[in-house]
Amino acid sequence: MTPLFPQAPQKDDLDGTWSFLENGIDNVMVKLEEGVDMKTYMALYTAVHNFCTSHKAVSGHAIQSQRGAHLLGEELYRKLGEYLSGHLESVYKESTSHAEEALLAFYIREWSRYTTAAKYINHLFRYLNRHWVKREIDEGKKNVYDVYTLHLVKWKEDFFVKLHDKVMAAVLNLVEKQRNGETIEQSQIKSIVDSFVSLGLDETDPTKSTLEIYRFYFEKPFLIATRSYYEDESRQFVAENSVVEYMKKAEARLDEEKARVGLYLHPDIAKHLTDTCLDVLVTAHSELLRDEFQPLLDNERQDDLARMYRLLSRIKDGLDPLRTKFEAHVRKAGLAAVEKVAAEGETFEPKMYVDALLSVHTRYHSLVKEAFNGESEFVRSLDNACREFVNRNKICKSGSTKTPELLARYTDSLLKKGSKAAEESELEDMLVQIMTVFKYIEDKDVFQKFYSKMLAKRLVHVSSVSDDAETSMISKLKEACGFEYTNKLQRMFQDIQISKDLNASYKDWLDKSFLDDDDRKKLVDSHFQILGTGFWPLNAPSTDFLAPPEIVKTAERFQKFYFDKHNGRKLTWLWQLCKGEIKANYIKNTKVPYTFQVSTYQMGILLLFNDGDTLTYSDIQKATSLTPEILDPNLSIFLKAKVLVISPEGSKPGPGSSFTLNYNFKNKKIKVNLNIQIKSEQKVETDDTHKTIEEDRKLLLQSAIVRIMKSRKKMKHVQLVQEVIHQVKSRFPPQVPDIKKNIEALMEKDYIERLDGDEIAYIA
Amino acid sequence: MAEDNQNMLSFLSNDGKTIDVPRDVAERSLLIKNMLDDIGPVTEAIPIPNVSENVLNKVLEWCTHHRSDPPSTGDEDDSRRKTTDIEEWDQKFMQVDQEMLFEIILAANYLDIKPLLDIGCKTVANMIKGKSPEEIRKTFNIQNDFTPEEEDQIRRENEWAEDR
Repeated sequence: MTPLFPQAPQKDDLDGTWSFLENGIDNVMVKLEEGVDMKTYMALYTAVHNFCTSHKAVSGHAIQSQRGAHLLGEELYRKLGEYLSGHLESVYKESTSHAEEALLAFYIREWSRYTTAAKYINHLFRYLNRHWVKREIDEGKKNVYDVYTLHLVKWKEDFFVKLHDKVMAAVLNLVEKQRNGETIEQSQIKSIVDSFVSLGLDETDPTKSTLEIYRFYFEKPFLIATRSYYEDESRQFVAENSVVEYMKKAEARLDEEKARVGLYLHPDIAKHLTDTCLDVLVTAHSELLRDEFQPLLDNERQDDLARMYRLLSRIKDGLDPLRTKFEAHVRKAGLAAVEKVAAEGETFEPKMYVDALLSVHTRYHSLVKEAFNGESEFVRSLDNACREFVNRNKICKSGSTKTPELLARYTDSLLKKGSKAAEESELEDMLVQIMTVFKYIEDKDVFQKFYSKMLAKRLVHVSSVSDDAETSMISKLKEACGFEYTNKLQRMFQDIQISKDLNASYKDWLDKSFLDDDDRKKLVDSHFQILGTGFWPLNAPSTDFLAPPEIVKTAERFQKFYFDKHNGRKLTWLWQLCKGEIKANYIKNTKVPYTFQVSTYQMGILLLFNDGDTLTYSDIQKATSLTPEILDPNLSIFLKAKVLVISPEGSKPGPGSSFTLNYNFKNKKIKVNLNIQIKSEQKVETDDTHKTIEEDRKLLLQSAIVRIMKSRKKMKHVQLVQEVIHQVKSRFPPQVPDIKKNIEALMEKDYIERLDGDEIAYIA
Repeated sequence: MAEDNQNMLSFLSNDGKTIDVPRDVAERSLLIKNMLDDIGPVTEAIPIPNVSENVLNKVLEWCTHHRSDPPSTGDEDDSRRKTTDIEEWDQKFMQVDQEMLFEIILAANYLDIKPLLDIGCKTVANMIKGKSPEEIRKTFNIQNDFTPEEEDQIRRENEWAEDR
């Protein structure tokens, strides 16, 4: 019969207990794969328990009263430590016969065996952990660990310190092989990493672990090796390949190293590894990369530019030099595009110019978006460049007011009836594009001037392509520049609406008013628009005009109606904007008589011929009292259209010539438009607009000065100038001398006064 | 309750008696649990060399009652350990003679059953609480081996701790 219990030693016999334990532990250490007998396991645990609970050392009150209950175990702990040191010594000896991958395999095998055994032994010594070790740690003893940790500490002190550089050298050789494209057993490295990490024990708090061991013995050499590997590789690669190829290589390497962390490294290394690679692969070659930027831009190599952006965006200050180059490049492209338009001479369409500006913006805007990730600093560079070439280029070398004028003209051409942009959605897109250019314009007030002139014309001549498009454009401008900028535009719009209602009620009034039949027969079909003087950019007629009696009567009748409604208002007839249609009943060669579409001035001339077929120049002048500047070109139009015939034949209209009605007038169309704008008129108008801009800017500056001074009361001259620039720059870029001039002007008008010390005060 | 063979273990007490124990009950002892985790399934009776049959039965009674308690993880839960409150079932369970009480405590310590060890110690603490030295000596049958001088000195040194 076998004994019930394996031979357990006497409980207070240290040597006996230890030799029993050592035998058991050694079996666990070296022959664990053979399994541990359950009874032995229990006996070993019991031996530890019994030794620790023996009363051997409990003697005398003195010790007890100092420490309370005396816990046994120190001897066991010490002996265990000595055993581990001895064991590891022999493991180390064995290791010296291995190198490289075989060494790694050995290390990993031993580590795994040792740590597995450690877990067993930790359990067998649990009683020691629970009592003696716990007490020692609670009392703040250094260098006492639970039994498992003791194993790790011994491994580190007695084995790891002697071997780590050989292990690391093997690891690094393996990694280098992989970087060179060979297949390696990655799991080996992963195991080494795990082992190094496990050895990081926090000396001050055994429950925590630190990465210090791993960082010092693994991370550091790993990073050094990585650096030198890529230093060599990149130097060589750059010497033999193009920069574009190098960027591909560098990007691939960066991705590869990032993946390596996930495959078998500790995440702690990720940032350091990336930094090292960036430093060697990108920063070290950043000059080379940047030098390639311009050629890539020139050839529009979007993908390569994107790659360069990605690489340089990852290093400190990597992109700044690119931004400068990019800005200069876009500006140059913009100027070149404008130059091409300018080569067309004076006659280019505004559309051509705006399209040229837009195409450059569109191209580089999409480049910024696609290649530079829409990064805000590149957007800013793009904006700077666009602002430059939009406001200062060959076409506007006379002054930056040319761009807003052309932009306004282009807008007008889109919003006027008969424009080519047919589809409504297409039109909206084009308006959006106009706003893109508008954003860059510095002289926004100039655009406003021209725009409102043209809007006025579109409204008066009812030639807008649609009310919706007009409203959409106005709201876009409002969004960009605020309520004040579009206030007048909106009022103009309203006036037209109100006028529609007014005409309707005028018709009612007319029907009710007592007119005799004769009057009714002579009634002219009429439509009136009442335009508020303050809002419309319109001037009174530049010439006297005696309107034909039919028109005068019609006008007077309306005035009577209007003054009844609105007492005390003043109406000025803007004859130069009026127009009408007259029927040429005298021409007998068609069934339906021709209809002439004419201006009121032309009407005044033609109606004179109701009283005679031939009139002299002075007759006409006297009857209409039009100035020659207006009269002559209009007569020329009639001559050209062969409505009138001049004598002497071939002469120019002027004193001494006379005009005869052409009864044989012929035209393919029944409606003949004679109301053509006269070239010289258009030129004068443009010049006038530019002149009023100067005037308006003066007012804008002065009102800004007064507004600022009114709120601040006192201010230094310099500050005032600054503040004015700040307030006005959204409309136009003010010149400092102009501001100063206007400050002077306001002093003369006693709005403000100069105090001592360069200070200016507001005079209430 | 019929237990699956796989889930039955047997213990061998130091007085040679075999006791069948369901595995989850046995695993209230961390010693047993760790051992099973370490060396795998066991078919022989597990020798418990420090505990006699009647004590082992008593301990297993406690383990059976607490078989589905959440496993104790050791040192945590300080606040619960510091009170001397004992739940009702455990109080009744501990109503045993003093010798048995100490045997249970020793067995719990050996078998590494932390909650049972705590209850045992609390029970002893409650027996001491509020008693004079003489009463305590009487309770635990302790002979006073202090001389009157020694006793006086100890009393003076510990005066600060007196309740009154």
